[in-house]
Amino acid sequence: MADSSSTPAVHTPVDLDRINVILATDCGSTTTKAILIEKVDGEYRQTFRGEAPTTVEEPAADVTMGVVNSVTEVGELAGRRLIDDDGQVIRPATETEGCDLYISTSSAGGGLQMMVAGVVREMTAASAKRAALGAGAIVMDTIATNDKRLPHEQIQRIRELRPDMILISGGTDGGTTTHVVQIAELVAPAKPQPRFGGEYRMPVIFAGNVDAREPIEATFDESVELSLVDNLRPTMERENLGPARDMIHDLFLEHVMAHAPGYDKLMSWTNAPIMPTPGAVGNILQQIATQRNVNAVGVDIGGATTDVFSVFDGTFNRTVSANLGMSYSISNVCAEATLPRILRWVPFEMDERELRNRVKNKMIRPTTIPQTLESLLFEQAVAREALRLAYVQHKEFATTLKGVQQQRTIGDTFSQEIGGQTIVDNMALDLLVASGGVLSHAPRMQQTAAMLVDAFQPEGITTLAKDSIFMMPHLGVLAQVHAEAAVQVFERDCLIYLGTCVAPKGAGKPGKTCFGFQVSGTSIDTTGEISVGELRLLPLADGETAEATIEPARNFDIGAGAGKTVTRTVRGGTVGLLLDGRGRPLDLPEDRTACRQAVTDWSNALGLADLARLN
Amino acid sequence: MVERRLGILLTAVVLTGLPAGKLVAADAPRPPSHVRAEDRGWDGGDAVDVIVGISPDDKPDTDPPGVAHYVVRWSGEYGGVYEHAETVVADKNAYRSGEVRLTFEQLELGEPYFFRVRAVGPDGSESLHVETAREAAVRPVAQAFSGRRAWLVLITLIICGSVVYFILMARRGKPLQIRKIAGLEAVDEAVGRATEMGRPCLFVPGILDMNEIQTIAGLTVLSRVAQVAAEYGAHIEVPTSKSLVMTTASETVESAFLAAGRPESFNEDDVYYVTDEQFGYVAYLSGMMVREKPAACFYMGAFFAESLILAETGNSIGAIQVAGTAMPSQLPFFVAACDYTLIGEEFFAASAYLSGDPDQLGSLKGQDVGKVIVAVLVIVGCLLDTLNSMTSIEFFETATTFLRDTILKSG
Repeated sequence: MADSSSTPAVHTPVDLDRINVILATDCGSTTTKAILIEKVDGEYRQTFRGEAPTTVEEPAADVTMGVVNSVTEVGELAGRRLIDDDGQVIRPATETEGCDLYISTSSAGGGLQMMVAGVVREMTAASAKRAALGAGAIVMDTIATNDKRLPHEQIQRIRELRPDMILISGGTDGGTTTHVVQIAELVAPAKPQPRFGGEYRMPVIFAGNVDAREPIEATFDESVELSLVDNLRPTMERENLGPARDMIHDLFLEHVMAHAPGYDKLMSWTNAPIMPTPGAVGNILQQIATQRNVNAVGVDIGGATTDVFSVFDGTFNRTVSANLGMSYSISNVCAEATLPRILRWVPFEMDERELRNRVKNKMIRPTTIPQTLESLLFEQAVAREALRLAYVQHKEFATTLKGVQQQRTIGDTFSQEIGGQTIVDNMALDLLVASGGVLSHAPRMQQTAAMLVDAFQPEGITTLAKDSIFMMPHLGVLAQVHAEAAVQVFERDCLIYLGTCVAPKGAGKPGKTCFGFQVSGTSIDTTGEISVGELRLLPLADGETAEATIEPARNFDIGAGAGKTVTRTVRGGTVGLLLDGRGRPLDLPEDRTACRQAVTDWSNALGLADLARLN
Repeated sequence: MVERRLGILLTAVVLTGLPAGKLVAADAPRPPSHVRAEDRGWDGGDAVDVIVGISPDDKPDTDPPGVAHYVVRWSGEYGGVYEHAETVVADKNAYRSGEVRLTFEQLELGEPYFFRVRAVGPDGSESLHVETAREAAVRPVAQAFSGRRAWLVLITLIICGSVVYFILMARRGKPLQIRKIAGLEAVDEAVGRATEMGRPCLFVPGILDMNEIQTIAGLTVLSRVAQVAAEYGAHIEVPTSKSLVMTTASETVESAFLAAGRPESFNEDDVYYVTDEQFGYVAYLSGMMVREKPAACFYMGAFFAESLILAETGNSIGAIQVAGTAMPSQLPFFVAACDYTLIGEEFFAASAYLSGDPDQLGSLKGQDVGKVIVAVLVIVGCLLDTLNSMTSIEFFETATTFLRDTILKSG
């Protein structure tokens, strides 16, 4: 039996003032990536990077072999010996060898997979899901009283799943015990088996009504490792995810990682607990959002899944769209988005049959990369829809709490909003960060920016950036040990600023004025007007800023209200200042020819591709 | 030569019509050019139209005018006693068309009517009269349909047609867009809160009996609340102030539990009668709310002075409260003290909204078309009347009159 005060694996404390060299690894499913961070002129900078295949599977079956290989590559590039003859990371750092701090994240073997349960799906079960996702887990299923399944179906489902751990919540403190115990009585007889064999007992976290602890303990036998933490929803008006998230991290290390091949050794090497990769990404995004006092959204689009992270007014949310990806899940993207909606973004003639063939080819050969301009544009069209759908799912999940008592006045007679409204507000969004193959490896930065803008449709004034070498996981775990170093590297080396997008919300007739602008900076001083439906790119180099005054037309809003002028400092980037007069929500013409012409015009305006080569 | 003979003949005919002992003044205007009477079509046989050709002396721009007005007299017998029926002045339309039109209503079905008309000069001198001939007697005849109600028919057809159209569309599976009603969407949320907090849900179906439409609408919502409570495994209590309401509510809750697949969870003691007395009932409810602290309170039905007492008590115990009533005087109290309030029509639309039944959704949509028509007529009428009073443009006057007398009075 464990409680909320149980301690994770003990790691050697480090003196932050003496840290000059930091080594960080991220053990992914296929690749282990290592980066070296060094103190240069008093500031932490990411200097070298190396990678090697992950070795968690047979025949190696030892994750540290991949780690040693990737670190060795970094060491060779840096001219610094990081691994000793015994295959251990050398510490502390000297002039020519070793590092002061070694940290790691892991998503190898599918990452952390969890099952969660709660009383009401939209209330405590949703809180449990938020806690698990926030901790970096993949939620395999959510069991709830009102999930429309009969008890035997629920038990069958629990038996079929082989999660790494289970999180049970339910009831406010002093609230229902009956329902919570009923859920425990579904889990206990199902006897769920852990994913990594039967060597350890299934970790079960109970984060529900404190009054139900005793009957819950009585429900489970010795076949599970039951941990009790503070209630996720002590009252209906408050969510308390911290203790459950911490316990998930602890159990991840103690049970899941400890039983994965080689992880016990890796854990003994690191100076900080190993974090699940998505949890680390969320951690650094939260750090940055809090430190800069901004609202931020991050996205990581992969082959099988798409992760979306958001921080709005300090509230962190993460969703995993398990069926939206660019290779294994590409068919599902097409099924959900429908082919005509994908075709909207293709600037040349392509019928549905051809599109379908391309999709299936990509699915059966998931590791291929585009060889022609047509293939590239097709992939980017699919990526736009995958990102859009993932963001829609994220908006639906990132909501205010349900079941909260409302305070009304007589003025609310005709505008009674129900609970559970999304907290994702594109107008309040300040920073949009992209990562993942199709975004990071786009041949032109403009293409990355265009995909972000088309899919997420930011409103008002939003800074666009991308993760240069998918360094955010490393920095996320570093932030827990050395926040200053993490933020410095994030600022200088992690993010590549693409520029700023200026996009008023509203709709108008094509050709009419959308907004007027005046931009003045060291290298730019220009004024002009953007028509409805027009996209324009102004050069504003990376590192530069400019004062932008935006005067939207009467029916457009740039953040201060319809027709009201806004003056803001905008940041340049590798793309520049993107002035978007297409309106929000972004509607493309229904007619295929008109739509293709519009997409071609936008492509030419941003310099996305040399479309003349296609003709 | 032929014209002269006809003129003499016409003069002779007119002179024979002069009343005995009445002479025509030398400066009297010339008589109206003609008069004819016609049965009004598409009516119930109680009206005739009389058309009078204006006098050659009646010019629009002369001062003093050649003709001050026309006097119409009628009789049930040709050559009998002609009584005064109407005095009429030629207007712009009459000068344009050369004829003045009058309608005589409330006449006897099938009886003959004869008319005589004289032009009257500004000094009161009357012209010779013209009259409808003996063989041209007009008799009001009833038709199968009344033309005056054509607009009513049209509006009825549009509304009924819309209802039928939307029902057919809904049955064919076309999704009908109905805006979200927060109070009904919040049922799941309120019952969920009660479930998580381990407290009961309280449902109050108003203080009137089953003959009140609001009580019936309230019980429709009860069906939904009870079904959600059954699915969530929550406890629901329904105290009533009328015995008949208790019986109906009990049946409703039992059916809902059955529909949710949890018939064994239904407890008939959860639906009970308290008292018919308004304040006795309210006192019981307040006490029960303070003691048991339900986490979700629903007030659906007809409420009077007790609305604020209930809503305030519910608010003080921290319950999510959803109210629905069509009593305008109680709505402000519910809006201020409850989390969600169904206002008037929303309350009555609850049944269609919750059931998703194509027939109910279709008729709800069709009724909306009727409401749109009424709203448009009100707005157009207000605009026309305002413009009519502010300007002297004849169009606005004609349009206002047409809207008021022809369209609105067609019912």
